[in-house]
Amino acid sequence: MNTLVRNLRVLRRMTAAEIAQQSIYRGAWIIFMAANICVPIISLLIWRTAIANGAQLPIDEQYVTTYFVLLSFVTMATSSWLTGFLANDIRLGKLSRWMVRPASLLLGFVANNLSEKFLKLFALVPMIGVLWWIFRDSMTIPAGPGRWAVFAVSLVLGAILVFTIDILIASIAFWMDDVSALAQARLIIASVLSGAVVPLALMPDWSRGFIDNQPFRFTVSFPVEIVAGNLSGYDLLVGLGLQTAYVLVFGALARLVWAAGIRAYSAVGA
Amino acid sequence: MIAATDLTKTYTFHKQQAGLGGAIKSLVRRTYETRLAVDSITFSINRGEVVGLLGPNGAGKTTTLKMLSGLLYVTSGELEVLGFTPSGRKHDYLRRIALVMGQKTMLWWDVPAMESLLLHKEMYGLGTQEFDRNVAELAELLDVQDLLNVQVRKVSLGERMKLELMAALVHGPEILFLDEPTIGLDVVAKARVRTFLAEVNQRRGTTILVTSHDMDDIEALCSRVMIIDHGRLQYDGGLDELVHTARPRKLVQATYATNVDSTHLDDVEGVTAVDSSGQRIKLEVDRERAGEVLEQLTRIGPLVDLDVADADIEDIMRDLFLRRSMPGDAS
Repeated sequence: MNTLVRNLRVLRRMTAAEIAQQSIYRGAWIIFMAANICVPIISLLIWRTAIANGAQLPIDEQYVTTYFVLLSFVTMATSSWLTGFLANDIRLGKLSRWMVRPASLLLGFVANNLSEKFLKLFALVPMIGVLWWIFRDSMTIPAGPGRWAVFAVSLVLGAILVFTIDILIASIAFWMDDVSALAQARLIIASVLSGAVVPLALMPDWSRGFIDNQPFRFTVSFPVEIVAGNLSGYDLLVGLGLQTAYVLVFGALARLVWAAGIRAYSAVGA
Repeated sequence: MIAATDLTKTYTFHKQQAGLGGAIKSLVRRTYETRLAVDSITFSINRGEVVGLLGPNGAGKTTTLKMLSGLLYVTSGELEVLGFTPSGRKHDYLRRIALVMGQKTMLWWDVPAMESLLLHKEMYGLGTQEFDRNVAELAELLDVQDLLNVQVRKVSLGERMKLELMAALVHGPEILFLDEPTIGLDVVAKARVRTFLAEVNQRRGTTILVTSHDMDDIEALCSRVMIIDHGRLQYDGGLDELVHTARPRKLVQATYATNVDSTHLDDVEGVTAVDSSGQRIKLEVDRERAGEVLEQLTRIGPLVDLDVADADIEDIMRDLFLRRSMPGDAS
């Protein structure tokens, strides 16, 4: 059987088991998502108030509203939380249990990621729906399915990019005992540069070249911009090209570091 | 089936002194140390053998097992298992082996064991008929039919180990690596696991390589043992030969109805009194003189019970490891 097909079948089985396992904690997902949507709502209210009070911004109220209403969905959809868990598995030798079985070592993490997102959707989508309805007059809704399709593709690429960066950082645990400081630094940098805290459109002009082309933009801001902003066809093409390039570069890098790390793996413990 | 030549593994780690001073010092300057875990060992194992890997803690047994199962790259030497280099972790290799670690679970903790078995069905590409047949056979052998749909975290340690073995064997591996498979189990569960493993070896011809500190495991399962100490292979051969070589004497214990005098037995060549008091005599006797001594024992008083045995394997191992850990006696 083809390796890809076999891994996909294993992934399907793992994802189903993960969903069964995690659905026990349905209350936790609702609380989790309510907390997730709080920060964008507060930011939305602050920026709308600023605009209403005459603040001169390079973006209008419609952009701000659409951006923050979509933000919690996009951050959830592209998020990954494997760094700490994978680093721990490497450090404590827990990776061994997957290494002796004929399947990709990362399938468990992919299954966990997909299943959690699937369950979070049930909690998050109604909340976003309510927000959307409240601010429906100030929302930008792209006409036609084309832009939504590009948004979906960008969302998938963004999720792969975040997942890949996570693997890259966790892989350093093959050599370093503790990567939590590195992971924390990345989290802080990413939250600013991805546009999860402040829309990147509000960044100063002098930083524009860097802000528009750095990888974190493509993990959150770019997918949101596809719906909220006025990106031309050319901007979309360049953006998707850059996003794909980052996925490939980080993917290759993660693979390289991972392969070297496996050679250094000491499989501590019995 | 398994061939290792000059197999060597070293670990490098940094040393840090205890306390704040040591921590600060290690920030500026780190001392690295290389430890030789397995030191140039050579052996081969044939299909269908059950081999015990013995040695004190830190001897290099588990490291050897990890190299054989592909978890670790070898530092030097050559290793071939089923025609593969284990560290390559090729799919065709991994689907022909299994590793069970007594202290680590391979099962999914929060779901029933059947979920893990179904996962293995996909991983190992088993057909439904083959899978059902194997599950039924193993469940019957291990008597776990009622446990398959219970969350793993809710079963006892002994039951979990049976399920671990089941998950490891459902794909019919040719080689089974076992690291302390009976650790923490009660006597009944241990016996069950041993019987099962012996049956698997006989029925399926599965080659088994087992590390254990429980000598009963080794006696019950292994016809051959390899003793590793300080990373070196100290002995490779039959368990009986080991007993005969390490303790070439028989243990004889005689119990009498009345007090007896056994002092004259000390003068008999090849006999050492281990413990003699009142109605009981305990001796160590050269194997070839055992018959003669037994005859004498029947004459010195009204005999109630007589027991002749080889030295306890656990005692032999203890002596062996203690002797080797003495300074200047590590050879």
